[in-house]
Amino acid sequence: MHNAYSLLEYMPAVFRALGLTIWLSWLALILGAVGGLLLALMRTSNFRVLRLMALLYVELFRSIPILIILFFFFYGAPLILGWNLTAFAAATAALSAHASALMSEVIRAGIESVGRGQWEAAQSNGMTYTQAMRHVIGPQAMQVILPPSVNIYIMVLKESSIASIIGYVELTATGLVIREAHGGGFAILAIVALLYFIVCYAISLAGGVLERRMKVAGSGLQMDEL
Amino acid sequence: MNSFTFNLRAIVPYLGELKMAVVTTVAMSLSTIVLSLAIGLFFAVLRQSRVAPLRWLATAYVEFFRNTPLLVMLYFAYFMMPVIGLRMSPFQSGLVGMTLHFGAYMTEILRAGLIAVPNGQYEAGNSQGMTSLQILRHVVLPQVFRTIYAPLGNQLINIVLGSSLTSAIAVNEIASWMQTAGSDSFRYFETFLIAAIAYAVLCQAINLTRIFIGRALFPDNR
Amino acid sequence: MMNATPVLKIDNLRKQFGSRVIIDDISMNVVPGEIVCLVGPSGTGKSTLLRCVNGLESIQGGQILFEDKPVRAHAKDIIGVRKRIGMIFQQFNLYPHLTARQNVMLAQVVVHGVDRKTAAERADHLLARVRLSHRADAYPARLSGGEQQRVAIARALATNPHMLMFDEPTSALDPETVGEVLAVMREIAQEGRTMLVVTHEMRFAADVGTRMVFMDAGKIVEEGPPRELLAHPKTERAQRFLQTIHH
Repeated sequence: MHNAYSLLEYMPAVFRALGLTIWLSWLALILGAVGGLLLALMRTSNFRVLRLMALLYVELFRSIPILIILFFFFYGAPLILGWNLTAFAAATAALSAHASALMSEVIRAGIESVGRGQWEAAQSNGMTYTQAMRHVIGPQAMQVILPPSVNIYIMVLKESSIASIIGYVELTATGLVIREAHGGGFAILAIVALLYFIVCYAISLAGGVLERRMKVAGSGLQMDEL
Repeated sequence: MNSFTFNLRAIVPYLGELKMAVVTTVAMSLSTIVLSLAIGLFFAVLRQSRVAPLRWLATAYVEFFRNTPLLVMLYFAYFMMPVIGLRMSPFQSGLVGMTLHFGAYMTEILRAGLIAVPNGQYEAGNSQGMTSLQILRHVVLPQVFRTIYAPLGNQLINIVLGSSLTSAIAVNEIASWMQTAGSDSFRYFETFLIAAIAYAVLCQAINLTRIFIGRALFPDNR
Repeated sequence: MMNATPVLKIDNLRKQFGSRVIIDDISMNVVPGEIVCLVGPSGTGKSTLLRCVNGLESIQGGQILFEDKPVRAHAKDIIGVRKRIGMIFQQFNLYPHLTARQNVMLAQVVVHGVDRKTAAERADHLLARVRLSHRADAYPARLSGGEQQRVAIARALATNPHMLMFDEPTSALDPETVGEVLAVMREIAQEGRTMLVVTHEMRFAADVGTRMVFMDAGKIVEEGPPRELLAHPKTERAQRFLQTIHH
C-alpha cells in the first residue's frame, strides 16, 4: 500500500501547478472576453458579411472539440504558418478561441437585453454609437453578462486540463508526473480532482453571491446613469 | 515563409484507420448517453427523495462531477481500474469516466424535466383513480420526455465532443487518429481538416436528426 | 328524495395545515341528485373540502364516508373511491401531451380497463355533448380556456362517476367563455347527477342549485335553498358576503 503521508512532500509543487492552471484560465478568459466583444459587435453589426463570419466562428466551436484545435495550434501551426508555439501559448490560443465563442453569445445577449428605449434615449440626447455603448448600454449589459461569465470561467478552468496532453505542466500534468514518480496508485489524482472541485465550486458560489448583489445594485446603477 | 502545399492525397492511406476511429467515437458516445441517462435517472429520483441524506448524496454526486474536468476523471478511471483489480480496456475505462461525468449533467436535465410537470397533473391523475405507477407512465414521463428531448440532443453532441479526450487514455478514436496520422505524415493541416469535418458532420447529423424526429414525435410542438 | 341514503357523509371534519385550521368541525350530507353549491369568501376551505372528499388532502379529525365507505387519503382503497368521483379543477389540468379525445379516453382505458375502441366512441359521444366534436384531435394548448374546461368535464364524465365535484370551474376563465361552461354544467345537472360545486357564480347557484352552503373561516355558517339564502340571508356574515357579490 502506498504511503499517502509521503505525498505531502509533493504538495508545494501541486499548489504551484494549481496557480499555473488558474493563471492560464484567467488569461484565456480575458483574451476570450476581448475576442467575444469583437465577435458580439460583428454579430450585431449592419454588415451581413461580418454577421456571417462571426456566426460561422461560433458554430464551429459547437461542432469541433477543443482538443483538435489545440493539436492544430501546437502541432500544425509550426508546419503551416511557421509559428513555433510553446505548449503554454498553444493552450492559451485554443482556450481563448473557445472562450471567445462562448463570451460572444453572452455579450450579445447582454447587449440585446437592454431595451430599445435606452438606445433611443441615448441617441436623442445626442450621443454617438460609441458614447451610447460606453455610458448607457454597456453598464446595463454588464449586469446580464457577469453571472454567465463566471460559469464560462469555471468551464475554462476545467478545460485547461487539456494543456497537460501537449506537455504544459499545469495541475493535471503535475498530478500525472507525481503519480509516475511516486510509483503508481491514484491518490494524487484524487487530490488533484479535489482541488479542481474546491476551486470551481468556490467560484460558482462566489458567482451566486455576485449575481444577487448585481440585482440589488442594478436599480442604483440606472439611477446614477440618469 | 514555410513552403506548405495542401495535399489531401497524402492522407488517403490513413483513411482506413479513420473509419475505425469514427466507429469508436460513435460507439463511445452512444454507450455513454445510454448509461449516463440511467445514472441520471437514478440520481434525479434520489434528488427528489424525502430522505435528506439521499438528497445530499445526489447533490454531492452532481456537484462533484460538474466541477471536475472530464480529463481528470478519465485518467482516474484509467489508473484506478487495475488498482481495484478490474482489467479494463482503455475503451471501457473511458466509458466509466465519461458516464460518471455526463451522468451528473443528465441528472440535472432529468430533474428539470420532472420539476416542470405541474402538481395539477398528479392531482388530475390521482383524482381519476390512477395509481402512482400509472400516473408516472401515462401522464408524467411523456411530459418529462418532451421537456428533456432537446437538451438530450445537445448532451449527445457534448458527449461526442468530450469523447475526443479519451484519446489521452489510449482510445483509438478520431482525435487520436488525427495525432497518429498527422505525426506520421506531417500533414497536420489535412488531418486536422478531416478530423474537424468528421466531428462537424457527426454533430450536425445529431442535431438535424433530433430536429426532424422531434417534428414527427411532437407534431403540435407545444 | 331527501330521505334517500346520502352519497356523501361528512362528520365533524377537521383539516389543518400545520397549525392553521382550514376546516373546523364541518358536518354535511349530500344525497343523490342534489346540486350543492358551496359559496363564501376566498380561502375559507371550500376547495380544501372537495380535495378531502377524494383524498387529495388528508384529514386530521372527523370522518368522510362516500357511499358508506370511509375516505382515507393515503390508503389503498382510495382508488376505489376516486373511480366513482369525477373532479373538475379550476386550472383544468388537462394532460397536455394528449389530444382532447385522448384526454377523455385515458382514465377509461388505464383505470377502468375499457378497450380502446369503446373508450374512443364514448369520448367522441361526450365531446359531442359538450359541443367540441370538431376539436377532438386538438391538443390542450390549442384550446381556449372554456374549451379546455369543457373537455375536462367530458373527461370527468367518461368514467360514469356517481358524484361530480367542481372546484371553482369558471374562476380562471375569460368572462366570454364562462357562459359556455355553465351551460354544460346546467345540462349535466338536469340529468339528475349529484354535484358538489364550489363557485362564485350566484346566478348559476340560484338557477341550478338545490342547496347552497355558505362557508366562512372553515365552518358552515348557513345553508338552505339557494334563492332563499340569496334573498334573505339570516346570518350577518352571509349578509356581508352577499353584499359584495353582484347577482
